[in-house]
Amino acid sequence: MSRNKKNVAALTAVFSSWIFASLFLLSSCRSQEIPGAAPPADRHAPYDYVGRRAMVVAAHPLAVEAGLRMLKSGGNAVDAAIATALALNAAEPFASGIGGGGFMVIYLAGEKRSTVINYREKAPQAARPLMFKEKGEAENEWRTSSGLAAAVPGALAGWNLALSKYGTRSFAEAAARAIEIAEQGFAVSKTFSEIDKEEYERLIKNAGEGTCYLKDGLPYEPGETFRNPDLARTLGLIASKGVDEFYRGGLAGKIVAAVTAKQGIMTFDDLASYKAVEVKPLTGTYKDFTIVTVPPPASGGLHLLQLLNIVENWPVRRWGQNSPAYIHHLSEAFRFIFADRERYLGDPDYADIPVPRLLDKDYAKEVASRIAPDRPLGSYLYGIFENKRAKSSNTTHLCVIDKEGNAVALTQSLNDFFGSGIVPEGAGFLLNDHMDDFSADPQSLNAPGPGRRPVSSMAPLIIFKKGRPFLVLGSPGGPRIFPSLAEIILNVTEFGMSLDEAIEAPRFFSSSSEGKPGPVIVESRISQAAVEGLRKMGHEVEIKLAYDKFFGGAQGIMVVRGKNIILGGADSRRDGAGAGD
Amino acid sequence: MKRSLVACIVLFLAGSMRLPSRGGQETTALYEQPLLITSAGQNAEVQIAAVLAKRAGLNYTLSKLATGQDLENMKTLVLVMGASLKGLGAAGLDIDKERDRVTALVAEARKRNLRLLCLHLGGESRRGQQTDELISEFLPLAKLVIVVKSGNNDGIFTRICREKNIPLIEVEKTVEALTPFQKAFK
Repeated sequence: MSRNKKNVAALTAVFSSWIFASLFLLSSCRSQEIPGAAPPADRHAPYDYVGRRAMVVAAHPLAVEAGLRMLKSGGNAVDAAIATALALNAAEPFASGIGGGGFMVIYLAGEKRSTVINYREKAPQAARPLMFKEKGEAENEWRTSSGLAAAVPGALAGWNLALSKYGTRSFAEAAARAIEIAEQGFAVSKTFSEIDKEEYERLIKNAGEGTCYLKDGLPYEPGETFRNPDLARTLGLIASKGVDEFYRGGLAGKIVAAVTAKQGIMTFDDLASYKAVEVKPLTGTYKDFTIVTVPPPASGGLHLLQLLNIVENWPVRRWGQNSPAYIHHLSEAFRFIFADRERYLGDPDYADIPVPRLLDKDYAKEVASRIAPDRPLGSYLYGIFENKRAKSSNTTHLCVIDKEGNAVALTQSLNDFFGSGIVPEGAGFLLNDHMDDFSADPQSLNAPGPGRRPVSSMAPLIIFKKGRPFLVLGSPGGPRIFPSLAEIILNVTEFGMSLDEAIEAPRFFSSSSEGKPGPVIVESRISQAAVEGLRKMGHEVEIKLAYDKFFGGAQGIMVVRGKNIILGGADSRRDGAGAGD
Repeated sequence: MKRSLVACIVLFLAGSMRLPSRGGQETTALYEQPLLITSAGQNAEVQIAAVLAKRAGLNYTLSKLATGQDLENMKTLVLVMGASLKGLGAAGLDIDKERDRVTALVAEARKRNLRLLCLHLGGESRRGQQTDELISEFLPLAKLVIVVKSGNNDGIFTRICREKNIPLIEVEKTVEALTPFQKAFK
């Protein structure tokens, strides 16, 4: 009896502890967040969305809702990712959409394999290496806000390829919620309003004062309602007639007309010949983790792996997160990697990129050994690989994981916010300005050329631990993408942060151009002591806002196997949100 | 009774000394046309200011890279405050070169007895170290300042305007800047 009592007491204690621990864990997470629920008082306060079976994270709550609705109706991760991507076109129209392109990494749990869909835009056939250089002082304007800025969009071709090969739903089903959002509208956020103001000049110039992207000719203020009935009609048309309507039908004609009216060179044939492609993922390791990401022409994944290879040589945990030594060493590594990027990156269909050499752990060790512990080197040379010489920003990210364990990391963009600002007549969507991602140097491997894909900074990725997905991650942010992702990954793996803590933590960035260092750019939450330490070492330090969109807007999903939960982290630098099932 | 009266007087005085905006200072018909609009920091809001000037029916010229020569025949210089890394990059400038450009422009404007109107339309997001340096340098020379309120959350405009006795008008939304902007001109 007394033994039984003891057992009961012990069981009660264990059960109580379990309940207490569960409550504690859940109290530190935002449980089962459903879009529309009241946001926390401080949107920057780290919290993780919690799911048991599935999770969607994206840059707008309405897009998250679209993805979750698809999952709950029986769609898989690919269906949900495309539904989310389409909804983002309606809810976050300045960052991505059918006028742009991107990349996605898909993990197929049943087959235990990953694949990549490359739907990066392509240059029109009439593109030439000197097409921007010859514009002289006006080059920048031509690259970003003229018809020449627009590359052939790949989004619809990519989504369609993913849906038809790995999805279970039709395009019309995936687009249904996006059409509703565009028709019904939504209250503009502070983020939307700020970006609308920032890109006002481009919108006035190319979309005009009457565009739906402005309210009575001025930028939207937070709280005002944004509707886009033209986009709703366009998506409805594609849903009923198929994606060919965009590449070969009436919409193709509208795109060519809009681009031509702004001195562009895209033709009907350029659109008709566009194809998204499925490619083998790029794989690397960091300690015990395997990282699967997108290969060139996306550069972000390659550079992230390069950086993590270098970091493996350093005692970063001892230095401490965002300490002067940590920021100094990583900034120097960024600068070497940017030198490699300048030298070696291009469209792999047209250039021989020495990917294995760049990812060689010995090369990383050599770069790490070149970095002085106490001062910036001031000059950053790309890696020289004997006999292996090459022959010749503002985006969005979403992640989905479904109940079967399939996962998608998807990053896509229009390049600059609101892309080129060109809206085909009555169509409601924006055309990208991704021609700007080609190099200004006509000798570069990344010079514009017919049918080439410009180098991208995107890096959607899935990290595996013991062969199973551990972290699905990605971010917008142009050249800041790989540094930001590396910082998040190190925050989780080295500094023991929760997923959203890692995403919200203060960030820093540096780069090099033609071997010369740029400043170390930090969010103002980086400690004054660290800033002073960096300045003492000889770095120029530039301070940005506490939570600055400059550093991107990362979204991630973490699978916590031991606890049987899925956590979602969404960046408060933009309007990131998540929801679990 | 006496105490209440003293309290009332103190409250009244405190209220009247608060100078978030105007504070009895003249804010209308301060400036003459034509006006030259430029930014201090190559921000995007300079274009919004131009659209507001157009809607206000003002005789204006917009020049993002204005120099002293552009002040020929002008009566007023409008500076739209706020540093934009993107704008500076697009203009091929760094913040030091931009500061030099604006310093020379403002010096020329003063030489020509032109009045300076400062606008800050970008709100909270158009603040930061570089913007604050530009504000500290050029705002004290203005005869009137119009700002979107969220850009003044920390009171930087209020403080400088109070110190220099410059009328300050705060508006909630960008579009609300139109009326005071229009009324500021003869």
